[in-house]
Amino acid sequence: MLKYLAKRGITYVVMIFLTTSAGYFLAVSSLKPALLEQERIPRPTPEQVANSMRLKGLDPDLNAWERYVQWLTGVVTRWDWGRSPNGAFINAEFGDRVWISTRLFLASIILTLVIGVALGVYSAARQYKFQDRVITSYSYLAYIVPAPIAYFLVQLGAININETVGQRIFFVTGISTPGMEPGWAQIVDMAAHYAVPTVAITLVGWGAYQIAQRQYLLDNVNADFVRTARAKGLSRNQAIARHALRVSFIPVAQSIAFTIPAIFAGGFFAEKIFAWPGVGSWSIDAISLQDVNAATATLAYGSVIFALGAILADFATTLVDPRVRVQ
Amino acid sequence: MSSETTTGSGTTASVNSTADAVERLHIAGLHAPTDAVLSVRDLNVRFNSENGVVHAVRGVDFDLLPGKTLGIVGESGSGKSVTSLAIMGLLPETAEVTGSVRLKGRELLGLSDKAMCEYRGNELAMVFQDPLSSLTPVYTVGTQIIEALTIHNPTMSKQAKEARAVELLAMVGIPSPKDRLKAFPHEFSGGMRQRVMIAIAIANNPRVLIADEPTTALDVTIQAQVLEVLHTAQEETGAAVVMITHDLGVVAGMADDIMVMYAGKPVETGAVDDIYYNPRMPYTLGLLGAVPRVDVSEKSSLVPIDGIPPNLLHTPTGCSFAPRCPLATEACLEGEPALAPVPGVALHHAACIKSEALGGDVDVHDIFSAPPVPESRFDAIPRENRSTVLELKDVRKHFPLTKGALLKKRIGTVKAVDGLSFDVREGECFSIVGESGSGKTTTLLEIMEFHKDQDGEVVIGGISNKQAADTKTKNAMRRELQMVFQDPTGALDPRFTVYEVLAEPLQNAGLDRQAIRKRIMELMKLVGLQPDHVNRFPNQFSGGQRQRIGIARALAVNPKLVVLDEPVSALDVSVQAGVINLLDKLRAELGLSYLLVAHDLSVVRHISNRVAVMYLGKIVEIGEVDRVFDNPRHPYTRALLSAIPVPDPHVERTRERIILKGDLPSPLDAPKGCNFATRCPVFAALPAAKQEKCLTLEPPLEAVAPSSAAQALEPAAPSPDQRFACFFPDGELDEDMLVSHDQAEHHAP
Repeated sequence: MLKYLAKRGITYVVMIFLTTSAGYFLAVSSLKPALLEQERIPRPTPEQVANSMRLKGLDPDLNAWERYVQWLTGVVTRWDWGRSPNGAFINAEFGDRVWISTRLFLASIILTLVIGVALGVYSAARQYKFQDRVITSYSYLAYIVPAPIAYFLVQLGAININETVGQRIFFVTGISTPGMEPGWAQIVDMAAHYAVPTVAITLVGWGAYQIAQRQYLLDNVNADFVRTARAKGLSRNQAIARHALRVSFIPVAQSIAFTIPAIFAGGFFAEKIFAWPGVGSWSIDAISLQDVNAATATLAYGSVIFALGAILADFATTLVDPRVRVQ
Repeated sequence: MSSETTTGSGTTASVNSTADAVERLHIAGLHAPTDAVLSVRDLNVRFNSENGVVHAVRGVDFDLLPGKTLGIVGESGSGKSVTSLAIMGLLPETAEVTGSVRLKGRELLGLSDKAMCEYRGNELAMVFQDPLSSLTPVYTVGTQIIEALTIHNPTMSKQAKEARAVELLAMVGIPSPKDRLKAFPHEFSGGMRQRVMIAIAIANNPRVLIADEPTTALDVTIQAQVLEVLHTAQEETGAAVVMITHDLGVVAGMADDIMVMYAGKPVETGAVDDIYYNPRMPYTLGLLGAVPRVDVSEKSSLVPIDGIPPNLLHTPTGCSFAPRCPLATEACLEGEPALAPVPGVALHHAACIKSEALGGDVDVHDIFSAPPVPESRFDAIPRENRSTVLELKDVRKHFPLTKGALLKKRIGTVKAVDGLSFDVREGECFSIVGESGSGKTTTLLEIMEFHKDQDGEVVIGGISNKQAADTKTKNAMRRELQMVFQDPTGALDPRFTVYEVLAEPLQNAGLDRQAIRKRIMELMKLVGLQPDHVNRFPNQFSGGQRQRIGIARALAVNPKLVVLDEPVSALDVSVQAGVINLLDKLRAELGLSYLLVAHDLSVVRHISNRVAVMYLGKIVEIGEVDRVFDNPRHPYTRALLSAIPVPDPHVERTRERIILKGDLPSPLDAPKGCNFATRCPVFAALPAAKQEKCLTLEPPLEAVAPSSAAQALEPAAPSPDQRFACFFPDGELDEDMLVSHDQAEHHAP
């Protein structure tokens, strides 16, 4: 297993290096932070701009290859991913944003998985009955409605509650109220900020898992081995729970493994709409702010997360399916 | 021979009549009320489908006595599997089941799923058809056997359950059972998995064991092993067995009673000898005549039963078999005949108004107008004087077995085909037989390959694969040789009409539209399809008709040689007979040669002139079909032939069988000397000095010496057309691998 992991790890390191390098060349040749500087008032002279850029390691006069070598040396020798045009250090900002994304998504993804899989099993056991039709229709609806619209609807709902009660129970944006004293009040404040995004992301998210789990389970409910289990003396529901469920969970486990690292990568819409400045919104902002180093860093991070997901998915499959053996 | 078990209550009840149903139950009560372990009365199953109500089982009655075996025989769709699932209570909730199923006097129908759980797997157990999908892939076989024990014996200790599981695995013949408990189903072969299924079924000493086509998915040698295991299981547990099958050979030796089902209804029931030797229903007669026999060399056409079984959406007004019955008259269409006792024979019932006119002395060929045996113009020409259409010279196909993802390391070679040489002459049918994994299909693929880099030479119609460099030569070769595939449904594009299917090869051959149209009409008539059906799609035809389309497609370009890859294995016996007869007729009329690959040795014997027996990529015996089958020299050929069940109860009960141990070994582990040594019954009985020879030297294919009798008659007689590869063909067989069940033991009460 370890040997296998090492082998896969090396393959992914090579792939990550290639995507990141390609991403850097793309960014460095299309993003020109110096142009944004010139829109400042009073307008700085081109020399001033070049100077300030050079100080941040973003010398616009060097060609793409020279800058790539400079950037790569920094990353490899000092683990320094460079600076933004506004002078901020990528390394410092990165840690904060990953943590924000994680806090925003962690609870809702766990809820999404648990609710999605549970409802999938529940509805599969009641195929074509009223409960199944309601749940599955909802899931398809959640699938179709664009995420931003669903998030806005949840926000509106929260505002409505606030207005009805006449008191601010839920915060629809932001992470926390600044200047809170540590203690009970802070916890209440945090919960009030958490509730709306968590509910919104969960409500939108579980549909996909519900549909997948229901489908895979239904594929197995009438399998020959379930019939064998019933012939042994298990009731239909027991046979499904003990035999069909585990087999149907194999493909779902794979997709879950891919989801877990995605928590850290965040999501652009949710971060923007709920005003949580995480990695997702940062990657988009980096492009509009002509920030070469931040754009490359988020890209590299995305590749790492993807590789982790792939390894986790392999791992999860071997864990639940004895037929898969790792060589 | 009389049997205590009865099948059929013998009442003339019409379905849905409550008075009659009461009467039947009454009779059931009168008949040995405590004797029967399982009594089924007036079992009816209806399914709601989009097209209406399908009445899948229509009034099944039988009594099963302890320790006895009932064989239920019928073609697909006859309701035999539905009957078994209805008894087990495993039909979907939407199925409507009526009647009565009593297990030791307790009514099972109408019990809730939960209440049925107490019987299922305990007193009532079942073995299913497909062992590959019937075990849960994610649990070890030990877990699955122990689960069956836990459900019905919650107080049993863990150690006791494990010991019992080991005992069960040993009983069904799984080597090193203790270690194999921890193995997962995918680590077992199909035959081994079916043994595990049997172990699960007999875990709690059931009183009734239902086996639904338990050997249909298995090779013949494995089938013989599994049937033997079922026999042991029955002896160990004393259970009554319901054996469901479409193969009249499989039940001939095992069953005490037979019930023949057609269109959801039993049409003939009785003791096994009465059914096989004295059938009283035309359908039973037809079924028996439709099966080729492996032990009979006499060439006669098979009996095809024309038409298809009725659609069970509509209740038949007359006899359900009348549309296919050659004896049907007006009277047959007036009301469905009930199962009536056959006069003079106890407990033999038949549902036919003409049953009195039928019987053992009636020749089935007269009734079912079997076509005459076709004569080919080549029959008169000695084989040596006919031209060769296909020749293989030392063809090999070795697959490298590699390890590693990026840097591949060769760790071994799989010799799928290892030095094959044979030829096929004009007008003959040459067959290759062997278990799955013996290299039959790889041989066909090598023949169809036409590549000059192949290892060995394939000569088709005088053109060698070494010359097949350009497309033109390849096209010329391809026109000489066409293929018919195993699965007629998968081999036809569902979006092509029959016309398009048949036109494609003709367009490639460069014919114009007028000529194509003419040829297609010819082809349709040639294979016995209606020419005006050319615009239909494949799904509008039955399985047998689809295979006929496949044959017509192969014949479109007038090939010399047709390669038949298991052409009838996907078809029901009655339909199979028609296709075999057609193949026979076409060979004679068109002077075709066939290269047939089949696992059914009865079909091979019926249709071929010469046969080659393959084992692990090599030919172990080759020669004229009657010589090889009547006087097999290689121990493997002998084992294969002895494994084929024959639809003749006397033969089945008395003959000695060679049961090979284990499965076909992986080609990786092939021994250095004789491939077959690991499973050979002769080898096992040899003294060590002689065994050495088998293990180190590879036996060459050698001709059989002419028998002394033949030499005395005609001293200069050429050696017969039969060659085999074995050092000790006359060696004694190992007694452990010989099994016979004498009649007395089998029928002891």
